[in-house]
Amino acid sequence: MTTNISPSKFLAQDNVYLPHIAVIEKIIEETPNVRTFHFNFKDKTLQKDFTFESGQFGEYSVFGVGEAPFCISSSPTRRDHLEFAVQRVGRVTNALHRLGVGAEIGFRGPFGNSFPLDFLKGKNLVFVGGGIGLAPLRSLIWNVIDNRNKYKDIVIIYGARTPADLCFKYDLDAWGKDKTIKFTTTVDRGDESWKGKVGVVPKILEEAAPSARDTVAIVCGPPIMIRFTFPVLTKLGFTPEQMLTTLEKRMKCGIGKCGRCNIGNVFVCRDGPVFSYAQIKSFVSSEY
Amino acid sequence: MEQKLRSEARALLEEGKVDWIIGFEPGSLKFTTTPLITKDKNDTERLVINPFITNNLANFLTEIKGRVGIVAKGCESRSIVSLIQDNKVARENLVIFGVPCPGIIDLSKLERLAAKNRDELDEITREKDRVIIKADGKTSEFPVSQALFDHCLACELPTPKEYDILLGEPTPPIANPTAQESIKKLKQLVPEERWAFWAKELSRCVRCYACRNVCPACFCQRCFVEETEPQWVLPAPRWQDNLIFQIIRNIHVAGRCTDCGECERVCPVKIPLRSLTREMYDIVGELFQFKSGMDKDADPLLTHYEEQEAEDFFR
Amino acid sequence: MAKKINKRDIIKLLNQWSKDFAIFAPSRESGVAAMAKWDGKDTEFLDWYRNTVVAPKANFLPNMEEMFKFQKDKEGYRIELPPDGEKQLIFGIRPCDARAMKIIDNNFKGLYQDPYYLNKRNSAVLVGLGCVNPGESCFCTSLDISPAESDDVDLMLTDIGNELLVEPISAAGKKLIAKTTGLKAATKNDEAKAKEVKKTAYNKVTRKINAEGIVERLTACFDDQEFWEKVAAKCISCGICTLLCPTCYCFDINDEIFRQQGTRFRSLDSCAFPVYTKMPMENPRAEKWKRVRQKVCHKYSFFPMSFKDIACTGCGRCVRLCPVNWDITQVINSVPAKEAKKRVKEGGRG
Repeated sequence: MTTNISPSKFLAQDNVYLPHIAVIEKIIEETPNVRTFHFNFKDKTLQKDFTFESGQFGEYSVFGVGEAPFCISSSPTRRDHLEFAVQRVGRVTNALHRLGVGAEIGFRGPFGNSFPLDFLKGKNLVFVGGGIGLAPLRSLIWNVIDNRNKYKDIVIIYGARTPADLCFKYDLDAWGKDKTIKFTTTVDRGDESWKGKVGVVPKILEEAAPSARDTVAIVCGPPIMIRFTFPVLTKLGFTPEQMLTTLEKRMKCGIGKCGRCNIGNVFVCRDGPVFSYAQIKSFVSSEY
Repeated sequence: MEQKLRSEARALLEEGKVDWIIGFEPGSLKFTTTPLITKDKNDTERLVINPFITNNLANFLTEIKGRVGIVAKGCESRSIVSLIQDNKVARENLVIFGVPCPGIIDLSKLERLAAKNRDELDEITREKDRVIIKADGKTSEFPVSQALFDHCLACELPTPKEYDILLGEPTPPIANPTAQESIKKLKQLVPEERWAFWAKELSRCVRCYACRNVCPACFCQRCFVEETEPQWVLPAPRWQDNLIFQIIRNIHVAGRCTDCGECERVCPVKIPLRSLTREMYDIVGELFQFKSGMDKDADPLLTHYEEQEAEDFFR
Repeated sequence: MAKKINKRDIIKLLNQWSKDFAIFAPSRESGVAAMAKWDGKDTEFLDWYRNTVVAPKANFLPNMEEMFKFQKDKEGYRIELPPDGEKQLIFGIRPCDARAMKIIDNNFKGLYQDPYYLNKRNSAVLVGLGCVNPGESCFCTSLDISPAESDDVDLMLTDIGNELLVEPISAAGKKLIAKTTGLKAATKNDEAKAKEVKKTAYNKVTRKINAEGIVERLTACFDDQEFWEKVAAKCISCGICTLLCPTCYCFDINDEIFRQQGTRFRSLDSCAFPVYTKMPMENPRAEKWKRVRQKVCHKYSFFPMSFKDIACTGCGRCVRLCPVNWDITQVINSVPAKEAKKRVKEGGRG
């Protein structure tokens, strides 16, 4: 089930550590802590030729501050620009949040494996997302929507801690209006104006009880959400091969050389970040 | 002395009076010992006291939870007292086996005296004021003052003041002035020469942080070098940043450093770190007439506030 | 066909080679042995018995290495690669350290090529020097490495008294010998003596490590928290073992701006440090025993799973430089056989 990992074809000066220069074109404030950046490469040929798959990530540089990995959150089917979403938690992410439109950043990638589209074709899909975990998922969701007839039923369950923490609200609106998608949003805690569901994502998933037959579940969110979602899916009859997720580790090089992101002999940056629950269970190291 | 230690340590574990025993056991190389940290009473059979018990075991007290029976030479007992002053360790949770220490043998010094590597030496014994080396069937002798660590030669408290059981007869300080030779030489250099000296020495630093991790006074959960916002020091071993790391570390431990010398001993690239720490130690003594780790009821020097404080440095 | 050279003539040999290469040889500056630029006259290292403190990996993976410079002008950012370095000839590398370079090569090749490492590595010539008197901390023989023989160098030197036997090992070594003057042909006696020396050196390595089936053994005890907590008890989480280990290669990447010019550089890092895996919300190896487990398992289990080689060459540096004498040979020897139901008694001396 693993997708083939082939190296990025877009190396600057044949050196995998050299970033391409990219320019920020638009900034969306998703929440007080999360921003989405739209960018394009300064090199117009690269802008035209660049391709990637849903699930892959890039290493983004703020020159002088550092580099950090973020998934490419836009879909490969919509290529007039590229997107990534950043939660403000440390040195590089804070520096990114201080950038304005027109600022230049570095980009290396695309790295990692991708969601296995061949495996998903012809199946029902259940997307379970939490908080900023929707970022890698939305690349796949729009990819699927743009090739709608290749997939059967689509269920999306997305939640955040509070209404203010919901990301990609423009996507949520669009998916809510899409008649071919069964879409539910939830929050752990509502506020005065919230009229939707209240409850943690695993609980809402259990209530929705999607059928496991011919279905693949793709789960992305904070580790605690994932840890409670897998048992719910198992109860609903999903086998470990039918559950996909993306793992997150501290990364630096992004290409499996600096040693940091390993789980046993597997590198999240090189052999992931997309893994099935079956693969995770077979890791020699239980520290995922 | 070893027998008494072993039986007392075993008894403490058996009777449930402590959760852990921390001491020394024979190391895996000749002429070495290694810390023994155990909850198992059978392990106490391996406890030793010999001229090679180099480590400062107090370092482990900030990590181990529970009641501890700990072997303490003079330097360790001062570090323990310093930790008690800092509220990191409670005296009632400790049973201290005081070991009056006649000084620890510095293998690097012996290698230079014998002009042989330590792997080529067959036997090293100490008899009162002589160190006897056997190698290649030949025996040679050196006065003990040439074979001990500098920090042992300068040690002000070889016999612990704070202990529960004293193993052996009290021993006086050696107070050999050769211990301060290297520092005196440095002080004779003019600033440009000192700068060049430290630039050269610190270029070898690989930022292993052994000096910091082996120090009982360095117990911060997150060290300043690990901060990224702001990034005080570059995480890479450029000599200028290595220098800043040493300077700030010395300032952070001032008043709590007991000149145990571990930082210099463990440095894999032999940077003379004790020149910095001992100098800071002496400055603290001069400015504040304070010696760390001597009195467990005293207030810590720099983290203690009094209304009436010296203000003569305000101008 | 082996050659030989008198120890006195090494200076001439190195001077000859210095026309094409930057010569690095062991030197003991301030009492710390490392591979340094040869000063043109010192050959004292020929009588040393042991490897350097700082491993020769520093010649290919320096402690701190510039990756590129960046500068901002009104057009935006410009990136500049550093100039190519000089071709290196590492003289006097020990078999353990030479094997370590082969082992590390696995990491820097593969899906992506690491240009910084490979440019240096591919253009370098390694002249090995066999160990005559292995030290107490050495355990290379348990890991299929001979203290005085090596397939991982270009030329191999063996100490046969006043002379050194010079054997070409690789094609590059043969080419180098062909261009080198001042070498005499070795006699059958010389070769026999060298063989003796190599055998004696091999037998002098008394420290042994039981690496048989170690991948399965470590996998079996991976989750045994009690075992690993005991193993990790005295470790102080410094980086000495990893930073000075010839087969450790983990690195960090950082940026810096100084006077309008920026540099991105990489520097050696260590899995022993708590912040190595720290993420904003969690740290999978916050506990010390997990980090110690990672170090042991990476070298003896995860790396061989991917690359067949155990990431350890028995050079002994970690054993003799560890501040608390934590000993990898004791730890590996105490990892129980896979079928053992009871744990082997810990603390067995290696």
